[in-house]
Amino acid sequence: MNGRFLRGGYLADALAQVGAAGLFFFSILGALPKSLRYVRETVRQVWFVGAMSLVIIMTCGLFVGMVLALQLYHTLSIFGGTEALGTVVALSLLRELGPVVTALLFAGRAGTSITAEIGLMRATDQLAAMEMMAVDPIAYVIAPRFLAGVIAMPLLACVFNALGIFGGHLVGVTWLGIDNGTFWGNMTANVDLWDDVVNGVWKSLAFGAVVTLIGVFQGYTTPPTSEGVAYATTRTVVFSSIVVLALDFVLTAFLM
Amino acid sequence: MSDVPMPRPDEPLVRVRGLSTRLGGKVIFDALDLDIPRGSITALMGPSGTGKTTLLKHITGQMRPDAGEVWVDGRNVPELGRDALFALRECIGYLFQNSALLTDFDVFENVAFPLRQHARLPEELVRNIVLTKLQAVGLRGAARLLPSELSGGMARRVALARAIVFDPMLILYDEPFVGLDPIALNQVLKLIRTLNQTLGITSVLVAHELSAVRRVADRVHLLANGKIVAAGAPDELARGESDWTKQFFGGEADGPVPFHYPAGDYARELGFDGGAA
Repeated sequence: MNGRFLRGGYLADALAQVGAAGLFFFSILGALPKSLRYVRETVRQVWFVGAMSLVIIMTCGLFVGMVLALQLYHTLSIFGGTEALGTVVALSLLRELGPVVTALLFAGRAGTSITAEIGLMRATDQLAAMEMMAVDPIAYVIAPRFLAGVIAMPLLACVFNALGIFGGHLVGVTWLGIDNGTFWGNMTANVDLWDDVVNGVWKSLAFGAVVTLIGVFQGYTTPPTSEGVAYATTRTVVFSSIVVLALDFVLTAFLM
Repeated sequence: MSDVPMPRPDEPLVRVRGLSTRLGGKVIFDALDLDIPRGSITALMGPSGTGKTTLLKHITGQMRPDAGEVWVDGRNVPELGRDALFALRECIGYLFQNSALLTDFDVFENVAFPLRQHARLPEELVRNIVLTKLQAVGLRGAARLLPSELSGGMARRVALARAIVFDPMLILYDEPFVGLDPIALNQVLKLIRTLNQTLGITSVLVAHELSAVRRVADRVHLLANGKIVAAGAPDELARGESDWTKQFFGGEADGPVPFHYPAGDYARELGFDGGAA
């Protein structure tokens, strides 16, 4: 531990960053009405952060569901409860794994690209050029990306969940021989639309907002150098992962 | 009714009074005064790090000074709110050192960008205005190229077309000649002169290339030590007798701008102080 840490310098820096990110969030909210003019840009960003993330989300969703089914089948078979496999896979995905893993993947795939893109726009004076053309970069560049992240994240989590359940079905029913009717019947009987599905959507909305905020903030405030952009993209992944997991705990405690 | 006072036509377009700025403890401007007449081409020259680009940033409100006034067309820039500042910037063109073209858009869309943001014009009119500006810089045929497909000189000319798309009253050029081959340099020089003569646009350019400045500028201000240390017509200044003009225009390595960055005693730093000998 060095002297700076003991004096609280790092803590003060971290708090200053959190404060700056908070102010940045409010400036995005303030620019949202103006950014509604740029619907096409928002749609383009939804495509970029959402549709372009589909392959990784679908692949990971499928494998997470398959692994989950394998592990849970093994555990449930000890207690003779393998008929509950569909229910447990679905609840695990909808309430927890879907929103959280999607957010972590989203941070790695879309969060970093948002940071790098905005950071390079900063480094090449494109943001300054917009300011000089009397165009607010918060309204034109930042707010559409933020909105796109908030819109895309729940949709991606739904796709992740669907593919996860499909993966669980593949392993549970097709491979391990659980009855198809039992798998779906138990699942539909025990999964509640509001408590399980909608709560998961709320979580993914919150994660989408947080991950995208971190991505745009890191990009917008990065030093205009190649090293600065590299550090900013790394910080996006690290901070997003920590904040998503911490926020997940808080949200779970409130939504339980 | 606009709140902006009507400036007199004989008043300078840009008037700087008592401008003081410090950056990281270093004095950049120390009560600097400067006038830029309407319709002129004024060059700001001086050693690196003397704040030429910073002065452009003060004129456009990208930076606020510690003290002083920066009047542009009758408006004191440091006191303007965001909306008023943006309104002023619509009347100012700014050519960045690295052109700062939007990399997602092709040449046509880069030039059309300010029009699309600030004017609700029919697409056909936008197209005609953009093609007119591209024709003026000789790049109508490059309208569908991406910025990554342009040479440095072409990118500079596209940025110039974008800067004049609203027929501004003032254009600020930040090192427009850097990295240009002689042909591209001549093209940019010709454009700066033509825009000034045909549209009456006031131009301020930050540059180090004396030969280029001599061919285009009406007046040169030499910045050093936070002040204007010499001003006049380019040829007059090049013949100047002051230490500043002699060193800068003669390209001398040492003079009022020292060769050595301020440092402690050399012998002491090497360990050759009194006792060691």
